[in-house]
Amino acid sequence: MREFLNELFTKRYKYDFSYILSLSISILLALILGAVIMLILGYNPIEGYGALIKGAFGSPRGIGDTLAKTVTLAMTGLAMAVAAKAGMFNVGGEGQLFLGAMAAAIVGAELTGVSPIIAIPLCLLAAMAAGGAYASIPAVLKVRLGVNEVITTIMMNSIAIYLCVYLSNGPLKTTERGIASGTQAIDPEFKFTRLITSSTLTQSIFIAAVIALVVWYFMSKTAQGYEQRLTGQNYEFSRYSGFKTNRIAIISMIISGAICGLVGMFEVFGIHGRFIESISKEFYFDGMLVAMIMRYNPIGIVVISIFFAALKMGSTAMEMKVGISSELILVVQSIIIFFMAAENGISRILKEKAAIRKAKREYLAAKAGNV
Amino acid sequence: MSNDIAVNMKNITVRFVETLANDDISLSIKKGEIFAIVGENGAGKTTLMNVLAGQIQPTLGSVEILGSTVTTFSPTAAIKAGIGMVHQHFMLIDSFTVAQNIVLGHEPKKPAKFGIFFDNKAAVRFTEDLIREYGLEVPPNARVRDLGVGLQQRVEILKALALGSKVLILDEPTAVLTPSETDELFKIIRKLKEKGHTIIIITHKLYEVMEISDRVAVLRAGKLAGIEETKNLSESKLASMMVGHELSFESIPRDETVKTPVLDIKNLTVSNARGLIAINDLNLTINSGEIVGIAGVEGNGQSELAQAITGLRPALKGSIYLNGIEITKQSPEKIRKLGLAHIPEDRIKTGLSKQASIWENLLVGKQRRREFAWLKLHLRRDKISKYSKEVYNQFDVRGAGIHIPVGSLSGGNMQKIVVGREFSFENTRAYVISQPTRGLDIAAMQFIHKQIINKRNEGAAILLISADLDEIFMLSDRICTLFEGKITAEFDPKTASKEKVGLAMLTHSKEEVCENS
Ligand SMILES: Nc1ncnc2c1ncn2[C@@H]1O[C@H](COP(=O)(O)OP(=O)(O)OP(=O)(O)O)[C@@H](O)[C@H]1O
Ligand SMILES: [Mg+2]
Repeated sequence: MREFLNELFTKRYKYDFSYILSLSISILLALILGAVIMLILGYNPIEGYGALIKGAFGSPRGIGDTLAKTVTLAMTGLAMAVAAKAGMFNVGGEGQLFLGAMAAAIVGAELTGVSPIIAIPLCLLAAMAAGGAYASIPAVLKVRLGVNEVITTIMMNSIAIYLCVYLSNGPLKTTERGIASGTQAIDPEFKFTRLITSSTLTQSIFIAAVIALVVWYFMSKTAQGYEQRLTGQNYEFSRYSGFKTNRIAIISMIISGAICGLVGMFEVFGIHGRFIESISKEFYFDGMLVAMIMRYNPIGIVVISIFFAALKMGSTAMEMKVGISSELILVVQSIIIFFMAAENGISRILKEKAAIRKAKREYLAAKAGNV
Repeated sequence: MSNDIAVNMKNITVRFVETLANDDISLSIKKGEIFAIVGENGAGKTTLMNVLAGQIQPTLGSVEILGSTVTTFSPTAAIKAGIGMVHQHFMLIDSFTVAQNIVLGHEPKKPAKFGIFFDNKAAVRFTEDLIREYGLEVPPNARVRDLGVGLQQRVEILKALALGSKVLILDEPTAVLTPSETDELFKIIRKLKEKGHTIIIITHKLYEVMEISDRVAVLRAGKLAGIEETKNLSESKLASMMVGHELSFESIPRDETVKTPVLDIKNLTVSNARGLIAINDLNLTINSGEIVGIAGVEGNGQSELAQAITGLRPALKGSIYLNGIEITKQSPEKIRKLGLAHIPEDRIKTGLSKQASIWENLLVGKQRRREFAWLKLHLRRDKISKYSKEVYNQFDVRGAGIHIPVGSLSGGNMQKIVVGREFSFENTRAYVISQPTRGLDIAAMQFIHKQIINKRNEGAAILLISADLDEIFMLSDRICTLFEGKITAEFDPKTASKEKVGLAMLTHSKEEVCENS
């Protein structure tokens, strides 16, 4: 304990302090720029931001929706961080999420009638296994054949998404009438309870909290997390040190994929009650950004997720109440990312962002090809 | 201000979060002077020079360069003012040619094509003119990665001269050089002095200070401990100024031990990163309680030999045994488990993670032990801190405690972390040690030499690779010269002369050595 306090107050966090400072400044600047744009467009920024804050936190429902969005952002962000810290750039979370959702939906439908206490953990495992197993493929390809994981994960996004879309429109399509696409519904008994009426916040937040704690603990307090961190920082050093670099790459990807799979399950068990084609709206790509802005720091990811979730949820209210297009918030977000990119070393982020853009294009193409 | 002053630093103070790296340092350096700066590891030499080169803004104090006061501390401003710095760790682009590196930042453009395309011919011409002007021979069209360190250093110097620098700072330039390369460098320095340049040189080798410099400044723990004319000094006087007390040069006793083969290398062939043969059918046996020194000009296979033994580079042919167990195709992890420790030549690329803290770097290799990880999982920070502090103190690391990133330590102190860690494993049978004291001050070097001999006396087999012939002679029980991937000759350090070994480093076979000597 003394060690910990000592560390907290004297040494290590001084280096993080400057980062938090520049993040705060960028956020402030971005919000000011947002206000300037509002003024130019003839709106009152105080009214605008007022409506945004009220939308995000002004009602139980607003708070619920913001927290629900936080869960998705933080989970996908943590998934990205676990792999990235070990030097694996997982761009394939979207596909892992789809497969997790599909696996949970199938098992959830199959187990209809079974006690939820047995069924839900099984579905949880199925989702994590599907996401994790899928994510292990690019890791194995990398350590065995030296194939760059950025490229393989991007390609495997399309494969997973196509496959799930096909399954939900074809062999696994529900027999219920009036449902255009989607798998068989899961037992309604299994569905997560909504914590606030008419908001999307469900019990999944508790699972998410546990996962976040475990991930934080794993990354910062365990020998395995330590090995992964050092490998991500300097691969050559890790090899020299006798770390099992191959195993580290694979394990980090499996954990990352498993968390993505879980997010897919949350969507199925929390909201839709079945797998549907539009199960994710590029959730993972938002999570990647969050993770990169916070330099893969797990605590930072959770905190900043609340902020970005509030922006997203509040912007809809702002558009409805004041008439300012919610796109403005995208501008604010981009400005923050831009500033932080400068802080992070522009070239590195640009490279990573290019990978994301490519992934997004592939992803959109995959969806478009299937309407 | 009289105008024969090149650099005038007043009350320079640099404070990092935890350390006062420079504490109220004032000194002025005359035009055309060769000025040496010495001091222990972490004394603040590099920091002071970084202020001059505009890399660091001083917390307090002012700088005048060639008569004009520095207002903005930036590398560009420093270059404009006439400062050029060759850093402790080179900053060239490996995949570019010499000429491309030299014109970097002021590339000539083809005028005929709207002035946007790189004009390689003009770059080569520019470089050739520069080479002629200063008499510094380098091949303008060779890629930097194909050059040895000595030549790379010349490229760095030319690069600084190309930018018009009148004051040239060299941060530990001789640490990576062989004796003959050092002689070459000193010739260049003298020539530059004749041309009116001012040279500031940092080095840990005091005989070099005596040989090359006009005046010396001694730094101690961030403070200026004294400035003297070199001709009024002696090596031992200088040493005691550095550490604040007399240094004793006792020789370290060597025990006679039972010698059994520990590390056995048979017909080893290894290729380098570009697929060329670097180690060619090499045979070498190292016994317990024996230090075998590998002498050679850098780039004759030393790196590849060390990497092959430690499992970092596959062998094309041949086999390596450690205590009779074949380790040729084993992973670095397995080889370490079998009792081999390795001090790599490049501490920053291979030996450390700069971002990680000191304790994280010291824990490496022990992170799964029961004493440090509960259930091999939960890191026990109290135990780890205790162990880290022990190594930290034992190796006299000068820094701000075990929680700061290794990258913020001075070069020599980083090296102590690597050596301290590799020497902390209990059951090591063999050591592969490359450039163990590169960048260390004399006291630290003595300490590490003592540690190496202690390990030998305890019965370890040690392969020592060093560019420093003095070090090789001082530590080795046997000296082997390595030339183009082959061991060309073997010497007994007690009877052999440095000249003979130096010659063998440059020739193919023993016969040639004999003929020439
Ligand atoms: N970027 C930095 N951040 C924090 N501390 C630093 C940084 N750079 C240097 N220091 C500290 O300042 C002190 C002086 O370091 P400096 O590199 O100037 O030493 P040096 O005399 O060049 O040593 P060496 O001979 O080992 O190269 C050291 O204690 C070092 O830990
Ligand atoms: Mg230094």
